[in-house]
Amino acid sequence: MTILTLSKSLRISLSNSLASKKLLICVVCMWCLSPLAQAQINLNEDGNASAWLSKMAEAKRSLNYQISFVLLKPGIDAQPYLWRHAVNADGVEMEQLDLLNGPGREVIRVGNVVSYFEPNVPPYSLATGHINGPLPSLLFDDPMSLQQAYEFVLVGRSRISGRAAQQIRIVSRDKSRFGLNLWLDQDTGLVLKLNMVDANGQAIEQIQVTELKVTDKPDAFFESLQIARLPEVVQVMAGPESKQTWQLDFLPVGMKQVKRDIHRLPLGGGLVEYMMLSDGLIDVSVYLQNISASTAEGDILLRHESNIYLTRTQGPVLVTVIGKLPAQTANAIASSVSLVDPK
Amino acid sequence: MTQKHENLSAFVDGESQDDNMVGMIGRDEELSAKWQRYHLIRQGLRKELPQNASFDISAQVALALQSEPAILAPKRTWRDMPLVANVMPLVRSSGQLAIAASVAVAMVIGVQKLNQEEQQIFNPAPATFQGIQGGLSPVSLEQTTAIPRTDVMEQRRRINAYLTDHRQQVRLKDSQSLSSDFQDEAVKAKNDNPNVIQELENLPE
Repeated sequence: MTILTLSKSLRISLSNSLASKKLLICVVCMWCLSPLAQAQINLNEDGNASAWLSKMAEAKRSLNYQISFVLLKPGIDAQPYLWRHAVNADGVEMEQLDLLNGPGREVIRVGNVVSYFEPNVPPYSLATGHINGPLPSLLFDDPMSLQQAYEFVLVGRSRISGRAAQQIRIVSRDKSRFGLNLWLDQDTGLVLKLNMVDANGQAIEQIQVTELKVTDKPDAFFESLQIARLPEVVQVMAGPESKQTWQLDFLPVGMKQVKRDIHRLPLGGGLVEYMMLSDGLIDVSVYLQNISASTAEGDILLRHESNIYLTRTQGPVLVTVIGKLPAQTANAIASSVSLVDPK
Repeated sequence: MTQKHENLSAFVDGESQDDNMVGMIGRDEELSAKWQRYHLIRQGLRKELPQNASFDISAQVALALQSEPAILAPKRTWRDMPLVANVMPLVRSSGQLAIAASVAVAMVIGVQKLNQEEQQIFNPAPATFQGIQGGLSPVSLEQTTAIPRTDVMEQRRRINAYLTDHRQQVRLKDSQSLSSDFQDEAVKAKNDNPNVIQELENLPE
């Protein structure tokens, strides 16, 4: 019966050029809805996702904007932030990130100097091009450098913060790390929302933009900023290099060692051998400590805010892994520690 | 005829110059049906179709209303006889109870069904955000055991030391990579320091 009507409608529509166009649309529509075709579309749009991320990085660097966002982390209250960015007449980037609740925490970046103003600590400056805040800096400054570890997938459009948004998923290539869902403003390419989610889609950390303003001129705040009065740059003392008596046999795809030293933990925590791993998006700390009477304890696995804290006894040493990564991956890293003979 | 359709097509695409188009669609039944279908197709193409696309049922409802008989005053029947009239409320109320019970069951099943459906939908980014749970809470992993009963305060202090150090290391990461020349000098200076070397020797081999 249906076939009959279809063929009838086909005959009718063929007699009319416009209607045949419509039929074509119908067929295309059906094709789009089939799952196979959908996979193909995602594949084709992969290049597009990179284009969007490049647009985002360019917008983040070159526009004058003011963004209000809220940071949500497990176990602590929502944190509202104000983020302003401007490029002054000399082409120098200026950035301000201000925590609006409580005693506050303000970070100001002028070019390659970042100044931190925090309660209980005298203000200080660091020589770096990124603000270390709730937004993963490398994702916004150089997204293409994450491609070794992560895959970018363009998902589609939706509405975020009252604006048309383009959604992009950032998935780790070996599925060993949390994924990101990123929504970018359709017009400007600036970030509107960023979710870190585990394999089940449960949010680990969330950033939601509540207001986005892009202006032609830099905000008045940056004019009143007295650059000469910012605190002096402190030079960071690195601990001595480790003797390379141990190594990690397992590293997630795209993750590299970025730092290795021996230092003392704050709060009288004792001396540790330290290694930092990074894939650009997340930083993971690996600590090795001698087992003594005070440290004698079993294995511990905790979640602190969005970090995993894992401690394991590996023979004579205590291995501790901290970072925003799934417990299984932290465990795989911790159990892959092996001691090598120093030569 | 064809010109009319071309105009409609342009109107749907937002390229129409004709101001009378809205009125024409309103008057012309065929055009309005076509307008609706175009939008349905567009939604389909953009994957914006709602979960259960509600097709227009106004025509059927109007038809059903027409064939509905007019409601008149009920005739007297055997139900209105004295004895039957006294018994009927009892029967009726028990019937109502049964209906109420069946409604409750239907509700429960209905709600469960809804919840199940919500879980089954494949959604890369869940629209319904569950909120973030957990503070400093144990997480399950087969290889690890629960926190053993040692000095809890001491353990908390140690965990805090690690977490604080992790935060500091992450903060200082960038600045170190930029001032790496300086870092090398600092390393040399530290290596010359006998105290540090002594500490190094205390570390596990």
